[in-house]
Amino acid sequence: MKFYKPDNLNELLGYINNLENKFYLLAGGTDINVQIKNGFINDEEIIYINHLDELRNIEDSERELKLGTLVTFAEILNSDLISNNFPFLQESLKNFASPLLQNMATIGGNIANGSPTADVLPLLLVLEAKLELVSSNSSRVVEIKDYFTGYKKTLLKSDEIIKNIILSKDKYHLFTKKLYKKVGARNALTIAKAAIACLIKTNNQVIEDFVIAAGSLNEFARRLYRVENYLIGKKFSELDYTEIETLLRKEITPISDIRSDKEYRFQVFYNLLENFLTV
Amino acid sequence: MKISFTLNNKKVSIDTEPTKRLLDVLREDFKMMEVKESCGEGECGACTVLLDDKPVTSCLLNIIHVEGKKVFTSEGLSKKFLGKLLIDCFDETNAVQCGFCFPGFLVTSYHYLKTDGEANLEKIKVALSGNICRCTGYQKIFESVMLACLRNDSTGGKS
Amino acid sequence: MKNERKFDARPKVIGTHKFVDDYHYDGMIYGALIYSKVHHGKIRKITYPNDFKLSEFTIVKLEDIPGKILIPEPETDQPFFADKEVFFYGQIILAVAHPNKNILNNFVKKIKIEYEELSAITDIKETLDNKENTFGKQIIIDHRRNVKVEKNWLKTHSVYYTPHQEQAYLETQAMIAKYDEQNEEMFILGTMQCPFFVKEAVETILGDKIKSVQVETSEGIGGGFGGKEDFPNLLAGITALLSFKSKLPVKIVLDRSDDITITTKRHPARIEVETYTDPQTNKIRKMNVDYRLDAGFYQTLSPVVLSRGVLHASGGYNIEDVYIHGRLIRSNTPPNGAFRGFGAPQAFFAIESHIEKIASELKIESYQFRKINIFRKGDEFPSTQKISEDNLFDCFESIVEKSDYLTKYEKYKKFNQTHKDKLGIGLAIGYHGGGYTGNGEKVLDSEIKIKIDKKAIVTIYISNVDMGQGAHTTLAQLFSETIDHPFELTNVHIPNTKICPNSGPTVASRTIYIVGNMVSDLARKIKKDFGFDNLKNFVKQNKQIFPKEFSAKYKPDPNISFDENTYQGTGYKDYSWAACAVELYYHADTYQIELLNCWSMLDIGHVVNPKIAVGQAEGGVLQALAYGSSEFFYKKGFGRMHGFTDYTLPTTMDIPKLFIDFIHTDNEIAKGLGEVPMDYPAPAVRNAFFNATGIFIDEIPLIPETIFHAMKKEKKL
Repeated sequence: MKFYKPDNLNELLGYINNLENKFYLLAGGTDINVQIKNGFINDEEIIYINHLDELRNIEDSERELKLGTLVTFAEILNSDLISNNFPFLQESLKNFASPLLQNMATIGGNIANGSPTADVLPLLLVLEAKLELVSSNSSRVVEIKDYFTGYKKTLLKSDEIIKNIILSKDKYHLFTKKLYKKVGARNALTIAKAAIACLIKTNNQVIEDFVIAAGSLNEFARRLYRVENYLIGKKFSELDYTEIETLLRKEITPISDIRSDKEYRFQVFYNLLENFLTV
Repeated sequence: MKISFTLNNKKVSIDTEPTKRLLDVLREDFKMMEVKESCGEGECGACTVLLDDKPVTSCLLNIIHVEGKKVFTSEGLSKKFLGKLLIDCFDETNAVQCGFCFPGFLVTSYHYLKTDGEANLEKIKVALSGNICRCTGYQKIFESVMLACLRNDSTGGKS
Repeated sequence: MKNERKFDARPKVIGTHKFVDDYHYDGMIYGALIYSKVHHGKIRKITYPNDFKLSEFTIVKLEDIPGKILIPEPETDQPFFADKEVFFYGQIILAVAHPNKNILNNFVKKIKIEYEELSAITDIKETLDNKENTFGKQIIIDHRRNVKVEKNWLKTHSVYYTPHQEQAYLETQAMIAKYDEQNEEMFILGTMQCPFFVKEAVETILGDKIKSVQVETSEGIGGGFGGKEDFPNLLAGITALLSFKSKLPVKIVLDRSDDITITTKRHPARIEVETYTDPQTNKIRKMNVDYRLDAGFYQTLSPVVLSRGVLHASGGYNIEDVYIHGRLIRSNTPPNGAFRGFGAPQAFFAIESHIEKIASELKIESYQFRKINIFRKGDEFPSTQKISEDNLFDCFESIVEKSDYLTKYEKYKKFNQTHKDKLGIGLAIGYHGGGYTGNGEKVLDSEIKIKIDKKAIVTIYISNVDMGQGAHTTLAQLFSETIDHPFELTNVHIPNTKICPNSGPTVASRTIYIVGNMVSDLARKIKKDFGFDNLKNFVKQNKQIFPKEFSAKYKPDPNISFDENTYQGTGYKDYSWAACAVELYYHADTYQIELLNCWSMLDIGHVVNPKIAVGQAEGGVLQALAYGSSEFFYKKGFGRMHGFTDYTLPTTMDIPKLFIDFIHTDNEIAKGLGEVPMDYPAPAVRNAFFNATGIFIDEIPLIPETIFHAMKKEKKL
């Protein structure tokens, strides 16, 4: 197994710019080491980045919060900046994996892994997070809703890394109610069978704004625009749940696997949404 | 690659593959058999150690992760005040059954006592939720950690 | 009744207590097992990777066996290795050893085995009504009494299914074999429940190539729960063969994914129950039980699991006319084996669910219905064994009171009328016969030895292991309490087949019940024979006699007998009895059940060490609750699970409050404790769900997917 440890971010970017073969970035290690154990990573190069503290900051500014890619889940859960600005994010991630893994796993890793079950993705989707992607000669900001293009496929180019996760403060406080629910086989150390995140802004029984995202129910975690478009501007009393169900069927395509069944996954997601809208 | 770190208060270094699992380095190179492997994928906590004062599963860390850092195993912690207190409580309640998971529980409970320490069952359950025990049904583990919290309180949190 | 502390607690917490992987011998090399990844097929070709020096590896397969190829087990039908055809996923084809663990792992990953795949059966539901799949032992318990079914009697019929369950001991299967070429001796060190079974297996595979085999257990045994009853025989045989061939010490520690894939599990069961109940008296008058276990491909332990299963199959009820038919069915999966409960949890799931069904059809509360039909003193089992005590009834009544069942039942009924989410409380009863079934203990002919040295230090020599259940502490305590000798001066020797007599395997809740009572009896006899009051003083005054060894053999009760052909007679001399109530909350939006409380009342006779006993019971109850609510291993179409990521054990966040209590502890006999807590809680979960929602589910676990599909079906009806 080839190994490389850059001294800083610039060196890392320069190094991967010249790499031709497939490589893996080793941050917290919670995912890469399982893949090595299961024989999914064999001779590919491993580049260690967990020591690059310049990727570990939480930066606060008037309109946004920037989380470095190496910020761990424990750091998210303990950060005053996050609890002041996005308590919903903190509250929602309380049961992420386990306290032991929270100390290791990084937010960037949870995104970069690309798994449709990643806990943080439905949350970042409804918070309309942006990702700052950098390479040795470029820097760009993409919206997380556009980042995934297929199962474990993303916009990230082979010479780029996710540098920051950017959360905008502009809209967050306008939402009047928030929901995040991960449905798993148990209450800790669990992989989501289905996950829902939604934020709503209501005024006089009218839905003025609504965002919703689903995890574990498609090839990648995604926003459900058809449902959003249907709901925005409507009064609660005029909602047609049959219509919502029909739209949902177009938006989420769960599968059956050893963990759960597609019919179950769909119904649970629908129930959670219906409860959110009716209770 | 040569990697230096502090292991149970002692400065050590080792020349090895940087991606070798911390668990394997501790067991094979440093003969620290108290670090147990059970699931090998972070799902059971038997291999828990303290890394810079935080409990982590050593099966999912590579030795490169600990470069320049402080590592404590259960045996290292057993010599500290809170470690001894916890061992006394686990012993007194007859909480230990097969014992394979307990070095991990000791490390995680130590961290809880050190950082929070409130005799609060719900908090203790959360703190220990990355450690699996198949023998005990957890009740006596909770009881032991509660007892340690209460006793630590009564000593004025002398840690 | 003292809470002596466990002798091994402190080193276990610190981590200095040694498990198999913590042992090292000079020159030791590492072994790995290569097994079938198809359920059934002909082996076409085995290709070793060519970028390794093949000469550095020791490779063994079927043709390398100098002795016999079948593993000696209760049923000797499983070979150590597959031959040209593999019959189940996980069947071992060859084993490899190498001095370097990494090289070994890379080599193993690259070995290619090509198969011609053949048809396979992997699910118990596929075997239905296919006579060809029934094999091996069948048992009939015929307690028919010509009861004539009246027209107005209620016929209730249901088929119940239970899944595989993984023991999930935290220390995986592990074995070291050390061959002494000069003396033709083989030394085995391992994590196991039955050292003498392992000895026999090693003698079998090596045959006359070896003069003697010595088996010792590691200092710590990281959990067993039955999972280390028979698999270690296979593993030790193969490890010994590798050591014999390489002439080096060999260690095999199974990786979790290999362990979970190829080792024995609890048998899936299909149990069909048919009852006839007189609605006038609410008494069950007649019952037929068809009890089938999925044995896997070979019988191995299944016949004895079947024996216990059928002897517990009619539950704790007095029914005049009973017919029980037990049989094994074959599938292309690894042989299933022992797991705490041993056939009884399956039986109690069926009968305790069925009782609920009859009660609901009769429209009476199941508590009342159980009370009418439950065993009372003087009643009899289908084996004709008489019930000699009312202790099951007492457990039941006290649990109803402790859990406040009747009040809660009514309260929740009201709550559920107005809420989408539901609350439920459910009951179940169970029992477990202690020790080997029928004449088993007679055949085992257990022996123990006790040595007292010049300092009055007592050492107990037995072959039963302490795998976490605290047996060695409890046994030492039994000796010390029986003749009032200091506990600190009483020890149990690590089981070793050369040093310790064969006191039988560590199974069947027999270690305290059989061996422990032998220890107490021998202690009393030593005291009586010497006529001392205080052993310590006696030794001081009579140093010349010591060190001295004493031994004793198991004395079967001459007044009891059991007919292995008709299954009539005394199945078990003593039974442990239990009852429980489980309370749960049902989340309508996610179809999940959340367990809130579980009360258990157990009669295990004399409780030697209350803290140890409570801990044992808590652990067993949680395993049982998980059996009822969350654990499964195989899903049709998606295969078997491969590790702890898939097989989700309860975490600290998933457990209800557990209340354990013991009743009738004034008994002078310490009865079996290990298994009974596993027998009854799973159906109580199911029954609580039934009371909460009115939906009758005939299988476990009650995972939300199962509940969802049941709900959907119910709405359609």
